[in-house]
Amino acid sequence: MDLYTRRLLINRFNLVVSLLTMLFGLFWLGWILFTLFKAGLGGLSAKLFLEMTPPPGSDGGLLNAIMGSLLMGAAGTLLGTPVGIMAGIYLAEFGNRGWLAPVTRFISDILLSAPSIVVGLFIYEAYVVRVGHFSGWAGAFALALIVVPVVIRTTENMLRLVPDSLREAAAALGAPQWKVIVLVTVRAAKAGIITGILLAIARISGETAPLLFTALNNQFWTSNMNAPMANLPVVIFQFAMSPYEDWHKLAWAGALLITLSVLALNVFARVFFRSRTATY
Amino acid sequence: MGSEHLSKQYDNDLETLRSGVLQMGGLVESQIRGAIDAFAHGNQDLIDQVIANEARVNECEVQIDDDCSHIIVKRQPAASDLRLIMAISKTVTDLERIGDEAEKIARMSRQIHERGHADLHRFATVRHAADIALSMLRQALDAFARLDAADAASIIRQDVAIDTEFRSILRQLITFMMEDPRTISTALEIVWIAKAIERIGDHAKNIAEDVIYIVKGTDVRHTAVEVVEREALS
Amino acid sequence: MNAAVLQPVEQALTQKIQVKDLNFYYGKFQALKSINLSIPERKVTAFIGPSGCGKSTLLRTFNRMYALYPNQEAKGEILLDGENILGPNQDLNRLRAKVGMVFQKPTPFPMSIHDNIAFGVRLYESLSPREMEERVEWALRKAALWDEVKDKLKQSGTSLSGGQQQRLCIARAIAVKPEVLLLDEPASALDPISTGRIEELMHELKADYTIVIVTHNMQQAARVSDYTAYMYLGDLVEFGVTDEVFIKPKKKETEDYITGRFG
Repeated sequence: MDLYTRRLLINRFNLVVSLLTMLFGLFWLGWILFTLFKAGLGGLSAKLFLEMTPPPGSDGGLLNAIMGSLLMGAAGTLLGTPVGIMAGIYLAEFGNRGWLAPVTRFISDILLSAPSIVVGLFIYEAYVVRVGHFSGWAGAFALALIVVPVVIRTTENMLRLVPDSLREAAAALGAPQWKVIVLVTVRAAKAGIITGILLAIARISGETAPLLFTALNNQFWTSNMNAPMANLPVVIFQFAMSPYEDWHKLAWAGALLITLSVLALNVFARVFFRSRTATY
Repeated sequence: MGSEHLSKQYDNDLETLRSGVLQMGGLVESQIRGAIDAFAHGNQDLIDQVIANEARVNECEVQIDDDCSHIIVKRQPAASDLRLIMAISKTVTDLERIGDEAEKIARMSRQIHERGHADLHRFATVRHAADIALSMLRQALDAFARLDAADAASIIRQDVAIDTEFRSILRQLITFMMEDPRTISTALEIVWIAKAIERIGDHAKNIAEDVIYIVKGTDVRHTAVEVVEREALS
Repeated sequence: MNAAVLQPVEQALTQKIQVKDLNFYYGKFQALKSINLSIPERKVTAFIGPSGCGKSTLLRTFNRMYALYPNQEAKGEILLDGENILGPNQDLNRLRAKVGMVFQKPTPFPMSIHDNIAFGVRLYESLSPREMEERVEWALRKAALWDEVKDKLKQSGTSLSGGQQQRLCIARAIAVKPEVLLLDEPASALDPISTGRIEELMHELKADYTIVIVTHNMQQAARVSDYTAYMYLGDLVEFGVTDEVFIKPKKKETEDYITGRFG
C-alpha cells in the first residue's frame, strides 16, 4: 500500500478511536445528568424555595438551606477574594525577585489541591473548638480558605497574560509601580480576574466536607451566622443517607439545584470573559 | 568597491553598468582616432563610418542612463554606490558630447578635403593637440576602471596644456589667413576642429573630476588645480 | 560636499544628553561597550545598526527603563542637562516624565481615548476638567489624530486601527510635555501610509523636543534624522551628520552596512 493510503488509514483509525473515547466519557456524564434530572425535576417547585426543611414525613422545602448556602458562600467569597487578589498581584508583579514568591506559589498550589475535608477539620480545630460551637462563620472561614488559592492562581495567571509592553508604556510616562499595577495592569486583566472569582464561587457552591465540621446543620431558619447554619450540601448528605422517601426527593431536588446553579455560573463566567476581553 | 553586496544581482547590475561605460568610452576613443585620421588623410570611407557610428554612441548614453534609473529605484543606493551612479550618469553625458565633437571633426574634414587645397602637413600642431586630448580621455577611462583618484588628478593638469595648444593653433591660423586670403575657408574649418579638440579635453577633465567624486566623495568641479590635487591625494 | 564653498557657520548646538563611557550588562553579557556620545538638543538623532548591535539597549538607558528588570545594569555616566541620571539619587519616575518613550508595538491602555492621554498628565499635574480637555485636544492635534477621534473620545483606545493607536501613544507621550522623546522603531509595525504620517510628525515635533529614534530602516533614518549613529555589536562605530554618514561615511564598516555589503 502506498504512503498516502497508509497515512489516510492511520488518520482515520485515530480519529475513530478519539471519537469513541470521547463518547465513552460523555456517556457517563450524560447518564449522571439524566439520572439527576429524572430524580430531581419532580421536586423542583415553588415550595422548594418557600419552605424550610421538614421533619421526616411532612412536606417542606429547602429555603433555610438555600439561605444558609448563600450567606456562607457570600461571606467566604468576601473574605477570601481580597486576600487572593492581593497575593495574586504580589506573585505576578513582584514575584520575579527573592524567595517569598516561589514559596507562596508552592503553598498556594498545595492548598488548592488539598482535600476540602482537611480544610474543614482545620477550621474545626482552630476555631470551632476554641469558640465552643458550630457556626455559620466557621463555615464561611472554611469556604474562604478554599476560595483563596483559586483566586490566587487565576489572578496571577491573568496578570501574567498582560504583556510587559503595557507595563513599560505606563512606567515610561513616569507612573510609580503601584499606579501601573492598579490603574493599568489590573484594569487590563479585570475580566479575567472577575472570571476567576466567579469560578471560585462555583467551586465552593458544591463543597460539603468543609461544612460538615464547621457549620453543621440547622433544621430551622436562622440568619445568625454565629450559630449552626443550614446549607444545601450537608442537607443533601443528611437526607440522602436517611431512610425517608420524601427526604430523598428533597435531596435529589437540592442536588439538581446545585448542579444547575454551578452550570449557570460557569456559562455566565465564560460569556462574560469572552465579551470583555480586549485582544492585544 | 571592496567587498560584495548581499545581493548578487546588485553586484551584477553594477558590473554591467561599469563595463557599459568602458565600452562606450572605447567606442568614443575610436571615433576620435577615426576623425583625426580622416582630417589628416581625407579618407571618405572613414569619415562616413565615424558619422554613422554617432548613432551608436547616442544609444549607449540612453541605455546607460536608463540602467542608472533602474538601480536607483530598486536599490536606493547610498554612500559609494550612490556616488558611483551619479558620476556614471554625468560621465556618459560627457562621453556622448565627445562623440558629438568627433562627428563634427569628421564633417569639417570632409568639407576641407572636398574643397581640395589642404596643405595640412603645416598643421602638425592640430594633430599634437588631438593626441593630448585622446590620451587624456584614455587616462580618464583608465582611472575610472581602476578608481584611481591620483591618476584622475593628473589629467586635470593636462587640460591646461590643451588650452595652450589651442591658443597657439589659433595664432598660427591667423598668420596663414593674413598671408593668403584664399586659405580662409579652410582655416576657419580648422579653427572649429581645434575648438572641438579643446572641448574633448574639457570633457575628459570632467570625467576625471567624476572619478575623484566617486573615490573621495568630494565634488571638485570648478575648483583650482592645486585644491583638486590635494583632495585627490588625501 | 563641495570643497570650495565655505561651510555655513554651525550654530552652537546644546548637547541635551551626554553619554560618557557607558557600559551595559545583561547579567554577564556586555551589550554596550564604552559608549561616548552626545545627543544635540531639538534635533532628531537616529541609531542604526544590525540586530543585536545595542541600539535599543542604548535608547532604554536614557529613561532607565532597564531598571524594571533585575540583572540589567548600566555603568558609566549619562548626563541629561548636565545631571547624571545614572546616579543613585535619581528619581526614576520624574526622569521618565521628562524623557518620554514610544514603543514598537502600539500599547493603548484599556481605557477611553481621553483617559489614555489624561493618565500621564494626571500623574504630575492637577488640571481642572476644562484644562484637561484642552490638553487632550492639544496632544491629539500635535499627533495628527484629533480630526479622526474628536467625536469618539469616550471610546476605548483599543478600538482604533494600528496606525491610529500608535499616534495615540505618541499623543500620550507628548501630553506630559517631556523634553526628550525616545522612539523605539515606532513605525515598524505600520503600513507605509501610517509610517509616512509618523515621519511627517517627527519633523514637526523636533521644533519643540529632542528626539532620538531607533530604526532598522535605513532610508527612514536618512529621511527623518539630522544626526545618525551607527552601532555594531555594542560599539559606537560612527556618529555624524546624517547626510554625510549616508553619502560619505568615514568608516568602512558604516559604508558596508549602509550599502548592503555584509561580507
